[in-house]
Amino acid sequence: MKALRDNLVLAMLIALWVGLLALIAVTQPDILSARTLTSVLQFSTILALVSIGLGLVVLAGGAGIDLSVGGVVSLSAVLAMLAQSAGMPAQFLPVLCIGIGLVLGGFNGLLVTRLALYPLIVTLGTFYLYSGLALALTGGAALAGVPDWALAFGRGKWGPIPLPFLTLVIPVILLALLIVLGTAWGTWILAMGNDDRAAHLSGIPVDRVRLVLYCVTGGLAGLAAFVSLAWLGSARPNIGVNLELEALTAVLLGGVAITGGRGGLTGVLAAVFLVVTLKTALLQSGINTVWQTGAIGLLLIVALLANRFSLSKG
Amino acid sequence: MTLQLGREATLAFACACAVLIFASFAPAFGTAGNLTAILRNSYELWLIALGMTLLMAMGAIDVSVGVVMGLSALLIGKALAGGLPLGAVLLIGPLAGACIGLVAGLIVVIGQIPAIVATLGLFGVFRTVIFLGLGGQWLSGLPDTLTRLILWDGLFAPLGLLVIAGANLAVWTALRATPYGVHLLAIGNDEARARLMGLAVIRIRIATFVISGALCGLAGIFYVAIYRNVTTTIGANIALEAIAAVILGGTAIFGGRCSLLGTLLGVLLLRILQNGLLLMGVPSLWQTVVTGGLLLAVLISEVVAGRLSLSRRRRQRT
Repeated sequence: MKALRDNLVLAMLIALWVGLLALIAVTQPDILSARTLTSVLQFSTILALVSIGLGLVVLAGGAGIDLSVGGVVSLSAVLAMLAQSAGMPAQFLPVLCIGIGLVLGGFNGLLVTRLALYPLIVTLGTFYLYSGLALALTGGAALAGVPDWALAFGRGKWGPIPLPFLTLVIPVILLALLIVLGTAWGTWILAMGNDDRAAHLSGIPVDRVRLVLYCVTGGLAGLAAFVSLAWLGSARPNIGVNLELEALTAVLLGGVAITGGRGGLTGVLAAVFLVVTLKTALLQSGINTVWQTGAIGLLLIVALLANRFSLSKG
Repeated sequence: MTLQLGREATLAFACACAVLIFASFAPAFGTAGNLTAILRNSYELWLIALGMTLLMAMGAIDVSVGVVMGLSALLIGKALAGGLPLGAVLLIGPLAGACIGLVAGLIVVIGQIPAIVATLGLFGVFRTVIFLGLGGQWLSGLPDTLTRLILWDGLFAPLGLLVIAGANLAVWTALRATPYGVHLLAIGNDEARARLMGLAVIRIRIATFVISGALCGLAGIFYVAIYRNVTTTIGANIALEAIAAVILGGTAIFGGRCSLLGTLLGVLLLRILQNGLLLMGVPSLWQTVVTGGLLLAVLISEVVAGRLSLSRRRRQRT
């Protein structure tokens, strides 16, 4: 039954995606090209990394959510570049991005697990704190000076597939799937999502698992920050703006129940492609970028309503 | 009850301290003109935070309040520029806000979606609507009809302050003396139990979203009156400020307990800090950091203080 539901979500997403592609093919046929595929995968890299982490946090239940992911991406990129211009050797850039992300995500996790604070409010606070810091530290300007080897990686391609997608997203999603489907940790996460208290009583280290998940989300957001650096060639303090909205849309559209315990990461990945294709189509049709926010917001609400509908049926 | 009184006294004390400190470090802060400006800048946040207090007392939240105010302000601005009669202009704001609140309420309550996620989506949608409504250009140079009305000093205080006092009094009365208020707090305490008791949970929850929307619409009137423009990014950070003020004021995050006086003082403290830091030469970009940091600091200190008093009580018992 559960497998059927997951497959249904996946089939629905693919149908939606094909429909969207058909619509583009009819209205804007010149958009469909290898270059667009590259750009979609390039945009998907950042969103996929962030959405996988957020998906795990939501899956683990306990009202788990992380609204600060966009702020973590912005602040990790900015802080890592500031450290580099303060004299840190450039080869540490990726490690530092991930490390800063881990710390920022860990702060969320500590507040949620140790102080038993409500994840929504905590991450809303850290969202403003992190993204505000990224803006304030740079005065709103982009920080240049990304080393050449990073640019070569960020802008490199293997056929039409961008290198970051090939070397980061695919291993991360495979690893995450392996952990969720094949290890005790995956069972624990789903058990926590189904019933936090029951999971705790049956001996699952609920708080530790949750703390690790918030750290992982932060670390993945830090990795996304490095991808943005290597791709764009500068640290933009506004790179994470609206990312929480898009990631949340992808996670919920991908069939993860907002209450946790139900859903899977393949759906999330499919939803990421759908969201990014929609964004790219809007962008390349020359429609004002402000439409993207509205379209994603609408998609989020529709996804939630559909989510609720399928839950009450299931 | 004693806890609430303590919170409000602490906040008043913090406001006084902040005023004294800023006045001694930044000479421009203590002038009568600046202190009036702080009050005037608090108007729209006071109204929005009032609605947010009700929502949070019920265990809900709304992160789209800023853009709801923005949408109302847009309509008001267009009506003003179009030369509509004053009565119509004044009605449009709260009416539009109430309608938007109804939409949000229906999505959250009937769709059974967590309020924060649904309103995050609405935030994105409304941002786009505002941008399209403005056509990418700021609405500026609006007539000062509303400004004169709000600052009209015919009675013992400016009309704007009286309206805010009236709104607070009305909500306070509704909370303390009507079934609505009692039921609202009951829902905030335990929604499932409130439903089992036969309370009209769905109706009360939707009504609260409508009330909050109407207050945001009213705030739109104040916004247009004071700033006399509507920008494309209007209200982007107001939701954070309102939530921070409400939590600062002692309203429980999970609902069931609220303090209107606390919210009033929370808004005031926030505005004093923002104004004072600006006058001391801190760039305005740091405002979000300060507000977000303050919100987290209050949350953390509440838990720590709660644990300390708990362990003290335990020690006394043994």
